[in-house]
Amino acid sequence: MIRIVTLAAYDEGDITHLSKTLYRSFGLGTEHAGVRALPKKAERDDGRFDAIRLLADGPPVRAYADDKVLYITDKELAIPKGPLGEPPTWGFAEQGGNKALISTFRFKPRGVTEASIEVFRRRLARESIHFIGHLWDLHHCYDARCAMHPSWSPTLPDDPEFELDAFCRDKSERRVRLAKT
Amino acid sequence: MVTVGAVRTSGKRERADKQEEASPPAGNIASSADLRPGDRVVYPKQGVYRITGLEQKDIAGQRLEFVKMSREEDGASVLVPLGKVATIGLRRVATADDIEGVFHYLGASYDDPELDWKVRHRDNVERLIAGGVLGVAEVVKGLHSLSRLRPLPAKERELYDSSRHLLVNEISVSLGVPEVIAEDYVDFALMPPAGVKLPLRPPPIPVELKGPPWKRKKPAVVEDDDLGLAELGIDMAALEGAAEGAAGSEESEEGEAEGATPAAEDGAEEGEAVPAKPAVKAAEKVSVQKIPAARKAPPPPSPPPPSKKPAAKAAAAAAKKPAPKTAPKPAPKVASKVASKAAAKPPSKGPAPKKGTPAKKPAASRPAPPKKGAKPAKGKKK
Repeated sequence: MIRIVTLAAYDEGDITHLSKTLYRSFGLGTEHAGVRALPKKAERDDGRFDAIRLLADGPPVRAYADDKVLYITDKELAIPKGPLGEPPTWGFAEQGGNKALISTFRFKPRGVTEASIEVFRRRLARESIHFIGHLWDLHHCYDARCAMHPSWSPTLPDDPEFELDAFCRDKSERRVRLAKT
Repeated sequence: MVTVGAVRTSGKRERADKQEEASPPAGNIASSADLRPGDRVVYPKQGVYRITGLEQKDIAGQRLEFVKMSREEDGASVLVPLGKVATIGLRRVATADDIEGVFHYLGASYDDPELDWKVRHRDNVERLIAGGVLGVAEVVKGLHSLSRLRPLPAKERELYDSSRHLLVNEISVSLGVPEVIAEDYVDFALMPPAGVKLPLRPPPIPVELKGPPWKRKKPAVVEDDDLGLAELGIDMAALEGAAEGAAGSEESEEGEAEGATPAAEDGAEEGEAVPAKPAVKAAEKVSVQKIPAARKAPPPPSPPPPSKKPAAKAAAAAAKKPAPKTAPKPAPKVASKVASKAAAKPPSKGPAPKKGTPAKKPAASRPAPPKKGAKPAKGKKK
């Protein structure tokens, strides 16, 4: 079961579309667990939110074994700087764990036209699949058409696909089958 | 619980001895005396383990002492005999400096992926075992570069995924960051976002793997008699017997051999998804060198080109001119088939005689009366 927790106000249509997409991708039931307050402790001095801390201090959600919880926020996220600098952050997840977080801060504005809303929904679905994929132990994929391709890659198109490629899909299905429940 | 290296065959022992002769890369654990409970070590191709202590076990009437380790990722336990600690390639977890070097290596340009899949696979496996963290990075980088040229075959896709997993795991442990972030760092170096220039330094030089000699055999000479015909299902003994009978048939044999080589090459290319072990075993046992050599070493320019046309021409010439050397060609079945096929082609391309080819034409292509021909066909389909 995938439980979606929104940390900001989102359109109900967008969340419904996301639930359906996640169900199609992983074959797991998906539901919206409600809107929760953002933990202010995770805010840094520069106004961004520490992704690791936000996920650790995220509002608790009733979940059972193997349930995956996906938090969605509209705040800018930050991660520790690496040896070559800080990669742009679209989200964070516990590899092989239960909680993931995505941010819609870097998305194109949702707008009011059907086309812009569609683009927003597709991107929301892609990033959600990407970080839930990490929860199922998937790694990044070199195929730009796969949802597990890094979100900042220069080869990623403007409106990327939101499906897993064959290898990642097989691997995630294996993991899902091996799950306890 | 997994027991590693408890039982070895004599062949494996020899290999292990030879492996010991090669100098180990820096960071390798030379003896079990270097290990303390609580130490973190990297088991090649397995991941990061924590030493939990020593354990004694009675196995086959012998009392053996093992180092007990537990994998951090999933808690799997491994027992390694004390005597084997030095030979399995255990090493310390890379330091932060090593990891920084890895990122500079990943960020550096790399335009020369190995295209021969057998060489590539052998090297990758060896690097994963004995190359240290930089060796793992080499595998990831090499396969990533190759994936930009063409999609990876299934086996290499798995190798890419598992080596990426090992690299991310070690970076995560070494830098003390979650795995997802470690993977972000890796991909930030491998494919930086548009407009970002990485502060790269000259990358470190990877450890040159001497490797055990049984793995480092390289093709030296292409043997004329090993044409890969056995793979095509052709009986070599029959061919040889026939070849002895025909005294002057060397030229035709060469033509046949070269005609067969592309097929063997095709087989090799198709075999990219073939698992590595059979290939390595074959390399150990018999005449390993045939496919790589056939691919690498171009055929000598002096012999006639290996195509069907020359054979056809030769057959045609044989029919016209009564040449004693080339005309009698009883031995090679393949060449005779090729020649007969090729000889059959020219008349079909040219103005073909009407009487000669009635039987080969398919029924559909005959100018048949439309209604009569259509009805039975429908009936047949039903």
